[in-house]
Amino acid sequence: MAALGARGSAALPARLRALWALPARRALAADAGEGKAAQPKPAFTDEAVQTLLYKMTGLDLHKVFRPVKKGLKPPHYKLMTEAQLEEATRKAIEEAKTKLIMPPVLNEREPIDDVLAEDKVLEGTETAKYVFTDLSYSIPHRERFIVVREPNGVLRKATWEERDRMIQIFFPKEGRRVIPPTLFKDENLGTVFQQDRHEDVLNMCIAQFEPDSPDYIRVHHRTYEDIEKHGKYDLLRSTRHFGGMVWYLLSRKKTDGLLIDMINRDLLDDATSLITLYHMLHPECQSAKEAKEQKLEGVDLIKVFVKTESQREGYIQLALQAYEEAMATSSAS
Amino acid sequence: AFSAGSRLLRGRGGHVVIRFALGGCTNRPFFRIVAANSRRARDGKYLEQLGCLDPLPNAHGEKVAGLNLERLRYWLGCGAQLSRPAEKLLGRPGAGAGMGTGGPGLAPALTASYRAGLAGFLPLHPMTVTGAERLRRRRQREQQPEAAPAEGSAEPGTGT
Repeated sequence: MAALGARGSAALPARLRALWALPARRALAADAGEGKAAQPKPAFTDEAVQTLLYKMTGLDLHKVFRPVKKGLKPPHYKLMTEAQLEEATRKAIEEAKTKLIMPPVLNEREPIDDVLAEDKVLEGTETAKYVFTDLSYSIPHRERFIVVREPNGVLRKATWEERDRMIQIFFPKEGRRVIPPTLFKDENLGTVFQQDRHEDVLNMCIAQFEPDSPDYIRVHHRTYEDIEKHGKYDLLRSTRHFGGMVWYLLSRKKTDGLLIDMINRDLLDDATSLITLYHMLHPECQSAKEAKEQKLEGVDLIKVFVKTESQREGYIQLALQAYEEAMATSSAS
Repeated sequence: AFSAGSRLLRGRGGHVVIRFALGGCTNRPFFRIVAANSRRARDGKYLEQLGCLDPLPNAHGEKVAGLNLERLRYWLGCGAQLSRPAEKLLGRPGAGAGMGTGGPGLAPALTASYRAGLAGFLPLHPMTVTGAERLRRRRQREQQPEAAPAEGSAEPGTGT
């Protein structure tokens, strides 16, 4: 997907870059070459895209601050005035916003394949390979030297999996294990999905893997596929994974289920922002052109989109009808 | 306790060495790469720990070693010596005409005659090369007696 390519990382605002602890950008020749493309495709990290995705995520305080399994403590009651209560709610909303920052969506990383030296003299002297890690404290983990001396005398840079393991051994991070848990294997993921624990899987995945590792991307895609298959979109609403899921569905044009779910829950604003994002990502489709010409808003935008782009037209029409009837009865009564 | 160590350090002599300090349990060695005064006990008080080496291969078949290259460079700059096994691991300082502290990333500049040590930090120790050649020769000699009796039994039939 070109949208998630190097352009995305190049256009990252400094704020997000610092937040996701990515190294400072070095000038890449590839970026200069890509500037010739017809129109810059919106990346996951654009401000406009992020605002729309964030609006769609919703801010259900009860779900964000739902009790996490910690030690048992008796509840703490406070007596507050109205003003203090407002202040506390405002602070809670600020905290919820930090909790809802979306994890980065990056391309899969290129495998490392670099030989530093070949010493045929050393062939046959050793039986096992040596992995040397540079333990200097002030180097970012991405730039650390981790080299492997094979028994046949070749000195090469370590692969990404070896790098992750060594860095976890010497600089352990909380929530990450040296050998990834068997939960992330494909056959075990199905069991977890049946228990509706998609969010826990995604949280564990973020703790365990780097955002550009193939395992991270595979687990995330499996989760999104499963959610889309069973229509369990509400599980991720008001969590930080919602944006990533919407981005995935948009790039693959599988937005119908999500649209139906939003209309059924009377979230018209979210539906319109979804379609706006769709038009931003795929500007060449017909409904995008019509929308731009006629400057449609709200329900009309949805209707145009449904006519031209969706596969499950019937369902969406039904949902829209039900919604309009509900609106009519509620406004009449 | 105060004077126990200072008796060693009184007077002249003694220098900083970077060597392996043995730790671990029975049948389970573990080395710490350590900068210490040469007159200290092998596992005694050291100046700074610069890394570690696990001589037994792990589940993935690799021997894990960590080296704090930044502090290593500092101590080598202060004039520390290397012990024989440490030299085999890191390489021989001074053989590369000042290019020794290049670190593992300088390979493209290496010429054929300049070989990096086991870790690629400093040039290869000559004993490593000698040891490798001796091993190869010993293995060849072991293979020849097996071949010789086989040939010896065939020769009387064909020879003379």
